[in-house]
Amino acid sequence: MRAGVTPLVEVEDLHVHFGAARAVDGASVHVLPGEVLALVGESGSGKTTLIRAIQGLQKPTSGTIRVDGAGGSSPGKVQTIFNPSVQMVFQDPTGALNPRQTIYEIVAEGLRIKGEAGGEAEQVWAALSRAGLRPPERFFPMYPHEVSGGQRQRVVIAGAMVMEPRLLLADEPVASLDASIRGEILALMRRLVDETGLAILVVTHDLGLAWNIADRVAVMYLGRIVETGPTEQILEDPRHPYTRALLSVVPETREMEQQILTGEIPDPARIPPGCRFHPRCPLLQSGILPETISSRCPTDDPGPTPLEAVSAAACWAVTSGAGPSALWASPG
Amino acid sequence: MSDSLLSIRDLSITYHTQGRAVPAVRRVSLDIEKGGSLGLAGESGCGKSTLANSILRLLPAGTEVTGHITLDGKDVLGLTPGGLRAVRWTAGAIVFQGALHALNPVQTVGDQIAEPMSLHRTVADDDAAKVRVVELLRRVGLPAARAESFPHELSGGQRQRVLIAMALACDPQLLIADEPTTALDLMVQAQVLALLEDLKEERDLTLLFITHDLSVLTYACERLAVMYAGRIVEEGPAWEVFENGSHPYTRALAAAFPTIGDEGSRMAPSGLGGDPPTPGDLPGGCPFHPRCPLAHDACLPAEPELRVSGEARRAACVLV
Repeated sequence: MRAGVTPLVEVEDLHVHFGAARAVDGASVHVLPGEVLALVGESGSGKTTLIRAIQGLQKPTSGTIRVDGAGGSSPGKVQTIFNPSVQMVFQDPTGALNPRQTIYEIVAEGLRIKGEAGGEAEQVWAALSRAGLRPPERFFPMYPHEVSGGQRQRVVIAGAMVMEPRLLLADEPVASLDASIRGEILALMRRLVDETGLAILVVTHDLGLAWNIADRVAVMYLGRIVETGPTEQILEDPRHPYTRALLSVVPETREMEQQILTGEIPDPARIPPGCRFHPRCPLLQSGILPETISSRCPTDDPGPTPLEAVSAAACWAVTSGAGPSALWASPG
Repeated sequence: MSDSLLSIRDLSITYHTQGRAVPAVRRVSLDIEKGGSLGLAGESGCGKSTLANSILRLLPAGTEVTGHITLDGKDVLGLTPGGLRAVRWTAGAIVFQGALHALNPVQTVGDQIAEPMSLHRTVADDDAAKVRVVELLRRVGLPAARAESFPHELSGGQRQRVLIAMALACDPQLLIADEPTTALDLMVQAQVLALLEDLKEERDLTLLFITHDLSVLTYACERLAVMYAGRIVEEGPAWEVFENGSHPYTRALAAAFPTIGDEGSRMAPSGLGGDPPTPGDLPGGCPFHPRCPLAHDACLPAEPELRVSGEARRAACVLV
């Protein structure tokens, strides 16, 4: 378990509903100081809604979000207080930056909103330098279009880091960047965590990114965390059939037999009964599960993974102790 | 190679914008044999999409193109407008990235798939076209009822399937897929790649596949060509190039996508310093030298030409 370290963020039994659509449907997750947690899953799994709720941009329907020990939002209440200790890095740096502002103004903006008095130039200088834009003063008068895509993402990161956040929320931070730049930005994110004790919750469908920088991985499916654990365990020895299928289609893991799931993630307004993954589950479809387990999948909900879990999978085959490795090793 | 379906010789493409000449593709030669598949990799601005669009002459008016493109025995750059119409869709077709703007928002997808068929009169009448549309939709894994849908009613993966169905409408020999999976999720990407692989087998298609993701190309193609600053800098059998690149740029691109389980890349993202050069303002000598971890004096005097770097392999680096 967590061995006495107080989590920076605790999201407990969070629900975010849009009418009948349950975008987040009972998700629980925690992030410790100084760690990178990768939240992975397909489009439509609710990953982005979850981090928008943590940032206070999305009103939760129910559940609690505790940021930095105290406070946080109470159920159903929009967090309107500007919280400088949580900052967000978006996917597309070009869209995230105001084209009419200089890089200095962009980075200084958060400080001005926060009402920080004095030392502005020094803080902007330090944030740009920390984000790898050196010498920083050269970038002060430049506009976003005058720098490259990789540098623009560094400006976004500098704008977040100038607030001295304790948690960075990053939504697909390298998905729109070129392959050669991707590694540089990921290395920067990892360095910030190692050097400043920052925590990062990164949303991605890129499992290679998790392998590159994440301490832990949480796998989301239809509004819930279905498996969570240390990165090595999730990516090298996954237990949930959904995680297993996701991993099998990463082009770099050619040793694994591909399990291409049919169709797309179901409509969150019509979440299947029982285990929400059962209509697409290759393990259930393979017919190798004993009747005692397979009969439960379509009717009994295995429930979400618990908030405090360091390693858990919401799957009847796993929790029944049937021995998932033995099941996977079977032919079929 | 006499059995090439597509043969490109010494192709150079220069855009003229605001009085400036911007060389996008520089002296490229490539072959894809009939039934073969080639993956073209490189970063934004390296010229890979320009090269792809030139094969069916889809470049903006005023673009300067020199060299030779032979597709199915026809000299593409010398074709008359009528001859060109005969080549597009039938000899070669492009599958564009499945963004909304690749489809007409006010036309049903069925009508859009039928359009190239009526243009080329490959079907007898409207009823025959309808039958063929349903056949194509089923083949790409969509229900027949989808013919009546408008593009905004489909998911990204479904739109990509529609674009593939449209490209197949006139039974082309060459399928050019330009970033067909880039905007898609991992699982949908795998579905689309598996579909392209099946179609290639079944119809003996020749495939030119373009993306910046070397690992996807390696999975989907037999051969790989890597472009940098408008030129091919390495070419060879896909897995060999991916796992053991001769050019330092290839190795950097390959390392950008870690192999899960490889201890060397765990907590160690690998990137390349600097940014790709601006076409029209290329560094002298080898254009990669400012970013190259192995650059030395020999890289400065001249741009290296492609030379043999192994069996059926070529690379443009002084160290080869």
